[in-house]
Amino acid sequence: MAAGRMTCAPVPEHDQVTVREGSAMTEDRRRRGAPGVDRARGGRLTRREVLAAGAAGLAGAAVGAARLDRVAAPVRAAPRPRQLNIGVVSGVEIRGLKAIAPMWDKETGVRLNLVEYPYASLYEKMVTAFQANAATFDIVMLDDPWMPKFGAEGWLAPLDAAPFNLKRDPDIFPVVYDLGSWPPPSGPVPPGEGGKPRHLYAITLVGNVELFMYRRDLIPSPPRTWDQVLSNATRLGNPGKQFYGFAMRGAKGNPIISQWFPILRAFGGRVFDDHWNVVFKSPESLAALKFFVGQLKAVAQPGADTADAADRTRLVATGHAAQGSVWPAEASDIVENPSVSTVRGKVAYTVLPMGPAGKHTPMMGNWLLGIPKAAREKEWAYRFITWATSASVQKPYAAAGGIPFRKSILTDPGLNKRYPFFRAMADSLAAPPFWRPRTTEWSAVETILGTHVNAALAGGESPEQAVDKAATEITQHMREAGYIK
Amino acid sequence: MLAAPVLFLLTVVVYPLVYAIELSLQYYRLGGFAGLHNFLFAFHDRLLGESLRATLVYVVLAVGVECVLGLVLAVAVQRTVRSALGRTLVYLLFIVPMVTPPVAAGVIFRLMYIPEYGILNVLLHGLGYPGRGILWMSSPGMAMFSVLSVDVWQWMPFVFLVLFAGLSAVPGDVIEAAEVDGAGGWARFRQIELAYLRPLLLLVLVFRFTDTLRVFDHVQVLTMGGPGSATEFLSLYLYKIAFKFSNLNYASALAIYVVIIVSVVFALTSRYLSEEIA
Repeated sequence: MAAGRMTCAPVPEHDQVTVREGSAMTEDRRRRGAPGVDRARGGRLTRREVLAAGAAGLAGAAVGAARLDRVAAPVRAAPRPRQLNIGVVSGVEIRGLKAIAPMWDKETGVRLNLVEYPYASLYEKMVTAFQANAATFDIVMLDDPWMPKFGAEGWLAPLDAAPFNLKRDPDIFPVVYDLGSWPPPSGPVPPGEGGKPRHLYAITLVGNVELFMYRRDLIPSPPRTWDQVLSNATRLGNPGKQFYGFAMRGAKGNPIISQWFPILRAFGGRVFDDHWNVVFKSPESLAALKFFVGQLKAVAQPGADTADAADRTRLVATGHAAQGSVWPAEASDIVENPSVSTVRGKVAYTVLPMGPAGKHTPMMGNWLLGIPKAAREKEWAYRFITWATSASVQKPYAAAGGIPFRKSILTDPGLNKRYPFFRAMADSLAAPPFWRPRTTEWSAVETILGTHVNAALAGGESPEQAVDKAATEITQHMREAGYIK
Repeated sequence: MLAAPVLFLLTVVVYPLVYAIELSLQYYRLGGFAGLHNFLFAFHDRLLGESLRATLVYVVLAVGVECVLGLVLAVAVQRTVRSALGRTLVYLLFIVPMVTPPVAAGVIFRLMYIPEYGILNVLLHGLGYPGRGILWMSSPGMAMFSVLSVDVWQWMPFVFLVLFAGLSAVPGDVIEAAEVDGAGGWARFRQIELAYLRPLLLLVLVFRFTDTLRVFDHVQVLTMGGPGSATEFLSLYLYKIAFKFSNLNYASALAIYVVIIVSVVFALTSRYLSEEIA
């Protein structure tokens, strides 16, 4: 295809038309096999989509390019590639991306090639490609705990520097920019990274943040503290009738840490201080663990120490538990899924409760988009990122089941009716949430913590033993990794 | 003519092994030649010791139960099921677990062991078992039992089929002669059938030993090595070191130890088998 220049005027973002489910327009687009619309049914379609549908095959490239002009103004002369290769994780995280991909294809004439890998393979593929400086991917989708590795190695192109010069958007929570920046703007900085200039290397696409769900038909007001959670659980739990006050995720490793780490933070506990000294062995950590394996376990389902996310959320969704933590994708796929849930409409969502430390501690688990330094189509990759994260595209993205991250989308009344956890996500992102310590060693640290906290939950170690052993092993690991002497 | 298979062998067998050896001789993070550092570190690794202990318990119990149960069933079926149809049905029944992917087997048993609505606890409640039911995967002992049960379910049939085939190969006239001499069922088994089965039993032992030493899939699905480190067997520990701690160097050294142990066992067994056959 010939190279195109961005010359036409952009379509105003606010200029939208609404197409309701079952409308002639929607049906017509479905019949013509316009992917994305089917998933986005019931949502509002922008005029741009309607125009694109009408003009498809006629002036798609030129018009689409014009639409992109608004989000990618700094880049004007890049020749139009045949496709963009984007390395993505397979699973629910890319449901929204899959829905908007055909829109991008249609608007630009540039095919979005989603190269899917399972979670572990994606990391491995990306690292291998980056180490070889190979242009395997034009865009990569990365989990936020990978940011330290990618940032430290300098594998990604800075988005806030030339030629892109991405500017901050007030519709995006500041924490989103912080998460994609390297070196990290707060908390400890890995050795050797502190002197580097800070840049934004990736921008969130999937705004995952851990939430708290509760049965609003049984609990009149959202629990604001873990004490209130416990009190509700004690009042409502009835194990004889297989109804539990709290649904716990306690399987070894990452699962139990996803559950317990926000509690640790709520109790004021930390794993590291600002200089990577291990400060896990503290009264706060011990109190958090005793609360978790003592009081909270007592009101949770039996066998919580082997329960993973799906087990935990299914308990609530099938009416067997009153409360629990939840990630947005689980809320969408299980609790709010009419084919699974018996409590749809009875569950409300809120920010993770506070502990003695007096602040909410939601945990982030974002998926971000970045451009590898070795990418061949950097300019078009940038166009795609700004397009996919723009407010007008985030709306059909969210309507199709994607997890959005923009304030305007998360507070949209229509979308909140359909996805009642969006408001809690907005509140959580504003809290602000915390992120897991920015170190390439986090996977190892989480494994150590996840082993001992699980052992304490199962009764194999006392809370004191678990804290002591975990602190010792983490210290040894961080010493070997050169973080501390 | 030989070039293609040799090249294939070099690519899929020799190269990964050489690469693993190379990794095992390098320092983690720093790179550079480390000599036997990674190999020697294993002797000071307390967590490896715990993992080895758990692995030993698992291997001994799994192989022992599978061999005894498989042998008993093979003899029982050999003596009681005479019709071809009956034996075919037994074959089919015993092949099903073996062709089930280990991950699927793990998922099936996980669903059975779920405390709230797993079939086992539902049955126990039906029989009047009091309280919250049994927590099948929550204590070190029960977790070990749970992961063992999957192994036994899946691989006892292998032992059965091999030994059953061996029993079928015992000459009928030898058995008849023993019966004429007044040998009872136990004497027949001990004096005649067991002698014929000895090489096969050894073969089965070696196969099951090496297989259980490498067990990973269903344990990962069922317990993820927990609770704590109770079922963190050698392969799970290796996986943790390689992919959670990103220490491919030490993991490679451990993998080479495993290769050496298995090779020694194989070499000794092969020698014994050769002598038996001779």
